[in-house]
Amino acid sequence: MTTQDLIEKIGLKALSKFDPREVDGVFVSDMLSDVMAGAQSGNLWVTVQVHKSIVPAANLVDVSAVVVTGGKEVPKDTVELATKHDIAILATDMASFELVGKLYNLGLVAK
Amino acid sequence: MSDCEHIWKMTNIEFGFIAFEKCSHCQAVRTHFTVDEESGDEYREGDCLWSRVENAQSFRFDLQCTKCNLAVKYHDLMGLLYCTSCMEDCEVEKIQKECAARKTWILVAFGFLPAKKDKPFPPHKLEILTDYFNQRRDTTRSRMKIVSHDLIEKFSLCKGEFIHDRGMLSLEVPEERKPLL
Repeated sequence: MTTQDLIEKIGLKALSKFDPREVDGVFVSDMLSDVMAGAQSGNLWVTVQVHKSIVPAANLVDVSAVVVTGGKEVPKDTVELATKHDIAILATDMASFELVGKLYNLGLVAK
Repeated sequence: MSDCEHIWKMTNIEFGFIAFEKCSHCQAVRTHFTVDEESGDEYREGDCLWSRVENAQSFRFDLQCTKCNLAVKYHDLMGLLYCTSCMEDCEVEKIQKECAARKTWILVAFGFLPAKKDKPFPPHKLEILTDYFNQRRDTTRSRMKIVSHDLIEKFSLCKGEFIHDRGMLSLEVPEERKPLL
């Protein structure tokens, strides 16, 4: 499943510009340190954090996309930095719990 | 000299806080890692009057080779900073511009403050850390390169951002970081 598939199947909104890539598992956390220690390459990272520091953290561990949940507004500088680094920032009004349920139903699990 | 082509894994992960302290007398800043969130009470040490200005959630770790078990400690790493291109003449920014064309992204490894400009983060540890993060990623798309803090000449003007969890009790976006010193 690719980031583009998820955008279409779940109705996620793409905020940054990026090349689509394969999604391999899901990692849910609002702590950058947790992501740096535990997320795997290709994971979809689900979070409510929107500060631009999410971009270097996502880039460092090579997640396939960051999904910001709960309808939180993502600052323009975060989106611009993500585009510069080819990091997908996706957004949804759904709460993390609801989104994770949909991802699970699509066959995505923790990796 | 080992012939092992190391494959690194993160071990001994310990979550905690990076405590930033500032002296109200000489304005010096220093940092240390602590497992428990410490209080911000002022205390005197010689001529200095230290108080906590920030607790950033972070973690420390070691790296270990899964093939030969060689272990390397990173307790001297305060964190990784990403360059915000705040100074065009900064060596980190120059390297960042060079490497961007090769899809290699730069992060700066910082030792605990006060970090000495003439004392780089140990080069062999930088290489291992770079290898570790590249082994974790799809390097056909892009690579990471981790450089030492001593490349930042104008430390006091640097507005690079640490990849730390600060302001985690608030859902407000943290303000831009002030210069370190």
